[in-house]
Amino acid sequence: MEISILAIAGSPRRHGNSEDLLDFVLDSLSGYPDVRVEKLALSMLDVNPCRGCNTCEKEGICVIKDDMKMLEEKIAEADAIIVSSPIYCMGLCAQVKALVDRMQVFRSRRYVLKMPIVPPEKRGKKAGLFISTAGQDWDWVFDGAVPSVKCFFHLAGIRDKDMYYLMINNVDKKGEIKAHPDAGEQARKAGEELIEKMRRLRED
Amino acid sequence: MTVRVLGISGSPRRGGNTERLLDAFLKGARDAGGDVEKVVLKKLKFRSCMGCNKCHNIGVCVVKDDLTPVLERISETDVLALSSPIYSMGITSELKALIDRGQYLWARKFVLNNLEFSAEHIKLHKGIFISTAGQDTNDVFLGAYPVLTAFFNDFGIDYYENITARGMDRWGGIDGHPDALSEAENKGSEIVRLMEELKGKAAKE
Repeated sequence: MEISILAIAGSPRRHGNSEDLLDFVLDSLSGYPDVRVEKLALSMLDVNPCRGCNTCEKEGICVIKDDMKMLEEKIAEADAIIVSSPIYCMGLCAQVKALVDRMQVFRSRRYVLKMPIVPPEKRGKKAGLFISTAGQDWDWVFDGAVPSVKCFFHLAGIRDKDMYYLMINNVDKKGEIKAHPDAGEQARKAGEELIEKMRRLRED
Repeated sequence: MTVRVLGISGSPRRGGNTERLLDAFLKGARDAGGDVEKVVLKKLKFRSCMGCNKCHNIGVCVVKDDLTPVLERISETDVLALSSPIYSMGITSELKALIDRGQYLWARKFVLNNLEFSAEHIKLHKGIFISTAGQDTNDVFLGAYPVLTAFFNDFGIDYYENITARGMDRWGGIDGHPDALSEAENKGSEIVRLMEELKGKAAKE
């Protein structure tokens, strides 16, 4: 059975380091005949911040009419989700944070309205991969971003143990990731790990 | 000596728990004689950093919108209170957008090397983070702190304290919390008195 992957390049900049790293992973996945990837660039879409209006707690839908409607369906349907974001000021870039916060509608469906958030046959069978790059060389540079990423994946129906991270620091200038000694190898491994995980989840 | 206090509300919701907590802080600051100004991001039109890196060459942001004067006012204030509720374990996208737009100062400090804040300057500029969270877990603000640290550092501001109240869902909102509002008000007065003292000392030296 086919594995569908939704890849979202979250950076406001096209083809910068975080998107390049995402592309490394997607390139490595092109070798699998049963893997179908759809890649979207968030900067080409219109995804506005959550207004905190809480209407979704009553209606189970978001009142904001923008591209999130389309993304909601893709996020619910995909077998695996890959999201990339650069680190800006020690956190996700604001654009990706907007996407994460718009997952509130999934939270309302699941915890307030007790509605399913993913198709029944995909429950507990989804995996996620977060990809990030940061200019700073500190080990803790991703610490501010990860808790929000976990929220995103949780609300997409992905469990903690099915989340993967490919985060590379100390790449600052555009294109620098291409000169990185083992980013390509790390990306290939991350892709492989994700697909292996998907296969194991399906056997469970 | 007048102490300027700038409070920025980063919540998309008006009059919610976080803005109420900010208002209590600002009331305390005003009562202590502070020159208080409040900015509500929700009312402004702005975009986030596009990552174009032009500021790495010219030291200013090429985006000109409602945030441009706000960023200038941030550079001028003595006390800056940034507020945001916790959404998905972090600050709101609106406040993150403001923070990301501070990149031009980072560029001036570390790329162009034409800006440096003295220890004295940093001591005389205090930053405060004001936040509320629905959840009651003790890690709920941890994702926000590094981001606030980065922003205050960009602007040469001493990250002085956090005024936070968690468990809003349990307390039924900020009004149900035993002491969050009164504590924020006290802290608003305290910081103005402290800054008066620090500014007075600095003026004499």
